Amino acid sequence: MLSTRLLSLIPLAALILAAQPPPVAKPKPAARKPLAKPPAKPATPAPDPADAKIAERTARLWSLQPVRKPEIPVGATASANPIDAFIADKWREKGLHPVGQADKLTLLRRVSYSLTGLPPTPAEQDAFLADTTPEAWAKVVDRLLASDQHGVRWARHWLDVLRYADADATMPAANGIHYWRDWVIAALNKDMPYDEFVRAQLLGSRYKDHTTVTATGYRVKVPGPQEDAFALGFLARAALTSDNKEQDLALNTVETVSTAFMGMTVGCAKCHDHKFDPIRQRDFYAMKAIFDPLVTRTVPLATPAEIFANGKATEAYRKKKEPLDAAIESMIAAHRERLYDERVAELPADVQAIIRKAERLRTPAEQKIADDYYPILRIDASKIKEVMTPEEVTKYNALLKEQTALTRPPALASFVTVEEDSDRLKQPTYILDTGDPMRPMKDKPVQPGFPFQSATVDFREGRREGFADWLTAHDNPLFARVAVNRIWAWHFGEGLHRNTSDFGVLGSTPTDQKLLDYLASEFVAHNYSMKWLHRAIVTSDTYKLASQVDPALAAANAQADARNSYLWHFRLERLEAEPIWDTILSMAGDLDDSIGGKSFSILKPDARRREALPAEPANRRAAYMRRGYIPSTDVMANFLQVFDVDDGRTPCPIRTQTVTAPQALFTMNDELVEKETVRFADRVLKEANGDVKAAVPLAFRYAIGRPPTPPETDRAITWLDNSPDKLKGFAWLLVNLDEFIYVR
Amino acid sequence: MNSSTLDKTALSKLYPCGKVARRRFLYQAAGGFLGTAISSLWAQESTGDAGKLAAARLPGEPKAKSVIYLFMCGGVSHIDTFDPKDNKFAGKLMDAVGFGDNLAEMKRPVIPCLRTFKPYGKSGIPVSDWFPEIGGVIDDIAVVRSMFCHQTNHFPAVLEHATGKPLRQFEHPSLGSWINYALGTANKNLPAFVNIGRPSSPVQLTGGYLGASYAATPFQTGDVPIPDLLPPTSSRSAERDRQMQLLGELNRQFREDYKLESDIAARVKAYELAANMMLKAPAIVNFATEPDHVKELYGIGQKETDDFGRQLLLARRLVENNVRFIQICHAGGGNGSWDAHDDMKTHGPLCRAVDKPIAGLIKDLKQRGMLDSTLVVFTSEFGRTPWSQNTKGRDHNGLGFSSWLAGGGVKGGVIEGATDDVGFKAVESPHYISDLQSTVLKQIGLDYKKMDFVLNGRPFHLVEEGNGPITKILS
Repeated sequence: MLSTRLLSLIPLAALILAAQPPPVAKPKPAARKPLAKPPAKPATPAPDPADAKIAERTARLWSLQPVRKPEIPVGATASANPIDAFIADKWREKGLHPVGQADKLTLLRRVSYSLTGLPPTPAEQDAFLADTTPEAWAKVVDRLLASDQHGVRWARHWLDVLRYADADATMPAANGIHYWRDWVIAALNKDMPYDEFVRAQLLGSRYKDHTTVTATGYRVKVPGPQEDAFALGFLARAALTSDNKEQDLALNTVETVSTAFMGMTVGCAKCHDHKFDPIRQRDFYAMKAIFDPLVTRTVPLATPAEIFANGKATEAYRKKKEPLDAAIESMIAAHRERLYDERVAELPADVQAIIRKAERLRTPAEQKIADDYYPILRIDASKIKEVMTPEEVTKYNALLKEQTALTRPPALASFVTVEEDSDRLKQPTYILDTGDPMRPMKDKPVQPGFPFQSATVDFREGRREGFADWLTAHDNPLFARVAVNRIWAWHFGEGLHRNTSDFGVLGSTPTDQKLLDYLASEFVAHNYSMKWLHRAIVTSDTYKLASQVDPALAAANAQADARNSYLWHFRLERLEAEPIWDTILSMAGDLDDSIGGKSFSILKPDARRREALPAEPANRRAAYMRRGYIPSTDVMANFLQVFDVDDGRTPCPIRTQTVTAPQALFTMNDELVEKETVRFADRVLKEANGDVKAAVPLAFRYAIGRPPTPPETDRAITWLDNSPDKLKGFAWLLVNLDEFIYVR
Repeated sequence: MNSSTLDKTALSKLYPCGKVARRRFLYQAAGGFLGTAISSLWAQESTGDAGKLAAARLPGEPKAKSVIYLFMCGGVSHIDTFDPKDNKFAGKLMDAVGFGDNLAEMKRPVIPCLRTFKPYGKSGIPVSDWFPEIGGVIDDIAVVRSMFCHQTNHFPAVLEHATGKPLRQFEHPSLGSWINYALGTANKNLPAFVNIGRPSSPVQLTGGYLGASYAATPFQTGDVPIPDLLPPTSSRSAERDRQMQLLGELNRQFREDYKLESDIAARVKAYELAANMMLKAPAIVNFATEPDHVKELYGIGQKETDDFGRQLLLARRLVENNVRFIQICHAGGGNGSWDAHDDMKTHGPLCRAVDKPIAGLIKDLKQRGMLDSTLVVFTSEFGRTPWSQNTKGRDHNGLGFSSWLAGGGVKGGVIEGATDDVGFKAVESPHYISDLQSTVLKQIGLDYKKMDFVLNGRPFHLVEEGNGPITKILS
């Protein structure tokens, strides 16, 4: 016991403890036995007539059939990239004609935003234009994938799906949740294989082996890398201290895990068997049972020195506070007692009798009555003040003032993780009537499990372990398909299967299942390397197609594919909120691109009354801008909402792209634009050695990644009239160009 | 269009040439791309888009063109305002079975109502001394004394009130965004759904699964009614006008290259609307043209009523500009200031802050002949209990409370429904909060049964409970 307590003082050791169930740290001799036999299966239930329907649905749904790597089509393209072969094959099949390739600077801007979310600098533009070797493009891609900013960009995509939020009602994990975000950034930067990426967030360990046998014959948990403890922020984020606080961690996790990693909307099965997909209500709650034993736990992250210093400060605070508390109490105790007695005496005799009983002597019914009367019998300070003499009130107020003047030492850094609670592990899970946690159907207990579960799954090494093994198995038909499709969609604006979070019946079928399956099997063969996939995609000819379409070509292709499902041109994409913010700052040379740390808020102090946060610099990448939802107060800046950022309460697979007047008002009038355009003007003027004419091409290159055309140069120079003062207005203009906000 | 809304003085600060500059600005904001379209826009500016729920439109001309929805955040005590009870139960402990999720016996002390009521108008409807001014216009008002909802705490009840759903299992939209979605806008210069004042919860503004574009646009009184509406002072000059011209020129090639993209066409429109709002919205919040006697009517210039009076005058001006649904949240943020647990006295200043402005609004609408086509609704998320929690205040009460309606085809001077003797539960013609929504929908020309939206193959309905419009109060 003592050793455990000492351990918890050491933060990293504590994290290891948190990452796995506790008994492992020091197995007792009694625990020495081989891995337990699988629990005896409950008596085989009577065959469910619905089973046949489920089996039939399972056999029919495309996404549940095994992934078979298709042959690469031949003869449709000269490109060596298999992606192009599949795409060109579709063009051939549909009679489509593609547009030509985009020019070099268009491509550089496109891929820079794609891979890092930042615009290419003029120096990067020069270097790429100057490099005429065949490897020039590959070099750019390698440079961008090696940049730390790559993880920041792609973490934002994944965290949209994994419903990251800095605040959500009274989310217990809010303090320190950003360590999970930073873990995701680091994982993507080091190209953690996707199966490890998912496993770590479900188990707190990326490793495949969950247990091992020691030399002396104990079976022990294999600890994951210490940092993977932060990955559990994914599960901890699900807990909400609301009315159903006991169950929302598990309920929310089931919905997020199934949507994000399985591409299935099991949420429908919360209240009834799924109307279309092979998912029963029982499956939903079986999956819930996997996460039901989890509880949140706060882990200190401070150093021992900080903890000791904090202890000292707390002690000093208490020493000052205690005598004040005592003085206040001695003033009010007698009054309170008298008022309380008077109040009790007014109650009906039977109630009085109950109230006067000691709590442990009351029956449950009596206790309920006593609880009902608690508010009636509560004696508040205001009531006591009413019966005090004026002198007493003055003295009392003075003491209170002194008491509130004392400030408690600030809380130490901490992180909220999850762990399995041994009591909850023993409790059965029930189907909930209409999903209401207050209405468990006691006649319908369920065993841990999940939809599409095969007969071979066992939970001997733990419930989550059994589920994670199935989920991340090479032969799981959903796992790689869903991931590959998401990454594709984040590059092209739409997935090969359009509904990136619905691989069920209502999600329809993929536009190009062969290509999807080819990429899924290659993804597995390349050990789930996400950077491999990025490279394969952005080095394809398909990715390099122009976005501009000649009307004649559009007319010719309109019949077969008016909406460009087969990618005969690149889709024009509106930049998301984060790259817009980052570009405005970076062109002014004002962007702080340091990685990770607490989220920042740009809300005005009056708009966050109850969320008092210290003023903070607001020139970091927008990936770190505070988001979330609290019913009673604003959390998210108007800017994020205007540019379609979700509040992180539910998984957001693809952001909607609205085009609205408030967006125009932001780029026209916001104070960020005002401030940064001043700096931007200074910067280009300085870099052009004070020559306004020379500043023009530089400004274009910073803002939209290309030099101006001759007519654009002429117009700009005429407008500027050689006046440095007008450069700010010119910078404003660049931010308001359509081309600024669109990636072509 | 009302001439007062195009206030020359306000415009001249921004664009020295007034109307001419405005036209040019519009043309330039659109970059000349829609040049011809804009001149026609100028000519017929009061036509907007037709909405997405043609099937839900009721036949005939709707009674109301606009709705002003006054929401008192925190829960107004009906017992102390519009639903008088004698004090014979005061001081007694009453059995609060059915309160909240409490099914067992629970005793609470009834506290006396300290207000005095008197009958007002020809109808003689009693109103408490907290609302003498509203009493003065009671003959235009239908008081519904039998409202109820299921939730008993603020956020769930506000949610229920805004969306018609007691739980937020899906991203349900609020009433205003449903109306926006169904009917579209009646003008091109302003949004169709506007919120004024701080709400209890962002859920009162949300477009939910209908989409962000149907959400409320928050307006505020003061010089800048919408965030980012005006350029920072340093950039407010004729210079901006010239910038817009160059912007149009520099956008031209890109817009030519991508003329097939609907997004780019939408962006042109977005800049147009933004420019229109920049020009029009400042004039709407500029009250310089309002005569003093009108400002006096709303209590503008008097300390207690100035804030709310300005918000209501702004609401009237938005109605004149064909804004469809104007929601005004009073004393919001957190639980809302009407949440009088500790002492009913805290209602006093709040009542004084809204009484005169609301009566002023009704009188002003009436004198302008606008009351018949403008539906005014007064409500809060729930009422308050007859008893206290050992304080001088009252607890939340969803089982019985009062809302009232005026104008827009509503009969004046009538009372609908009743609560029990002590004011706890609605017992006579109880109306679920959806009935209030159905009534609003009917008056604005929509069939409450057809307010549907299909999300992922699953149909959602705005109204799922209740008895439909409260026809007894409709003329």
